[in-house]
Amino acid sequence: MADPTERTDRFELIAACDADTLVGLADEVLDGETPVRILQEPKPQLLMHQVREPVERRPFNLGEVVVTAAEVTIAGERGFAMVAGKAESKAVSGAILDAAVAANHATADRICESLVDAEVDRDETRRRQWNESRATTVAFETMEDEDE
Amino acid sequence: MGYVAVKAGEEVIRRAEDLFEKRRVDGEDEPVSVEQVESQFSRLVGQVMSEGGLYAPKLAARAVKQAQGDAAEAAFLLRAYRSTLERYDDSLPSSPDAMFATRRVSPAYKDVPGGQILGATKDYTQRLLDFEFDESDPTDEWDLGDDEPESLRNVMEVLRDEGLVSDPDPVDDTDVTDTTREPVMFPAPRDAILQELARGETGAVTALAYSALRGYGQVHPTLGEVRVGSLPVEIEHPYTGESAEVTSVEVTESESVVPVYAKRDDPQFSFGYGLVFGRNERKAIGMTILDASIQLDGDEPAEDAEFVLDTVDGIDSFGFIEHLKLPHYVTFQSILDRIRAIRERKGLDPVDGGERTDGDGGGDTPSDREAPQAVSDDD
Repeated sequence: MADPTERTDRFELIAACDADTLVGLADEVLDGETPVRILQEPKPQLLMHQVREPVERRPFNLGEVVVTAAEVTIAGERGFAMVAGKAESKAVSGAILDAAVAANHATADRICESLVDAEVDRDETRRRQWNESRATTVAFETMEDEDE
Repeated sequence: MGYVAVKAGEEVIRRAEDLFEKRRVDGEDEPVSVEQVESQFSRLVGQVMSEGGLYAPKLAARAVKQAQGDAAEAAFLLRAYRSTLERYDDSLPSSPDAMFATRRVSPAYKDVPGGQILGATKDYTQRLLDFEFDESDPTDEWDLGDDEPESLRNVMEVLRDEGLVSDPDPVDDTDVTDTTREPVMFPAPRDAILQELARGETGAVTALAYSALRGYGQVHPTLGEVRVGSLPVEIEHPYTGESAEVTSVEVTESESVVPVYAKRDDPQFSFGYGLVFGRNERKAIGMTILDASIQLDGDEPAEDAEFVLDTVDGIDSFGFIEHLKLPHYVTFQSILDRIRAIRERKGLDPVDGGERTDGDGGGDTPSDREAPQAVSDDD
């Protein structure tokens, strides 16, 4: 289980979380009293996805992925988020949450709980996908005796 | 001959565009939403992302809707959008072993570790037109297990255990060719070939690979495996320096195993690799055949890297083929003049009494000019 108090884990939890959850939590941080400074406006960018092919283990460029990154500061603590797709509000919300937890904002515990809850939901979805796939695993039957 | 610059009404062009847009909203049916395109036409969306070289499912679904289902046009729209964006960076190189596979079949190994997982496919049932779609979920009543997801061992590693695939020498990770930023020069490095094949047009990849199977080549592989799943995309976190997953992309992967007894002193195998965005098994398999064929560097079309890479890109071929329908008045006028000059110099009679149809009426006469020896149709 990822630890939302750890920066890298938190980055991954935010990146995988749905937009509604992130925007809702960021609205709570933006209470009118917490000064939030935008260091990097959220904007779609390209991330070239490199893959190591398995024969020569040589990396090559599979193609680019659209991502949106943003960076903010809250109480002197920086927050950075990168999310998939063209998703400006999700990215800036993620950066706000990252900084809010780093700054130990009043909402930090709630943010961490929500990020973990969202991960549990995703894990459940993935587990179901896996078990659906496993249900299509072939069980071969030998045909040696069928002629006898 | 005098060239006459002409222009035609922008209003007419706008009307033609309006008429095109009308086709999308015509009729009594509700317009299909971008979300519906993304969820219900996921294969088409995947193909468009693959051929556009850009993973962005929502934008690809929008492009499909805008292009009214024309995959090549939609891929073009994605490439055009891509050209407006800055590059953040390269991801850290993903290992295919990290794939969360929901389908994996191995035509080579019946008892492949992890089992033959068919996943979502209609490969083994009849392909018949369905006149009565059942909109309910047919898996609702399944009695599912509750196992933790596992990673499936790559077949290449199984072969490596048997000594049939050697451990490769370390490669330089920092010098990866990027064909979106530098032109492909021949002989092309393998990373450039894989990148170009990965964003090749599905039909072109399939056709060129098929040519090898039909005898115009030496590669008729056995597939080590075909996998469909999601592959993590990771960056180095700017604060911690640790690898961090940003997202995952749906991909199709295949490896082909090609015995090349006559080509090698040490009879092992040659391999072709295929990896593409989205669920597109024929393209991934075709890519393995082309990758393996190009490595042979033979005389057949599919073995010629320059031929394959020059023809496999859908945006290139679509653009060049379709540009022919745009006005070529001056080009054609020039060809007419040259043909007339040649005929006159050879003393041939004008065709059909020699009435000219170019309409510009002015300019020099054919006899005033030096006739070319060959007629070129270069634009």
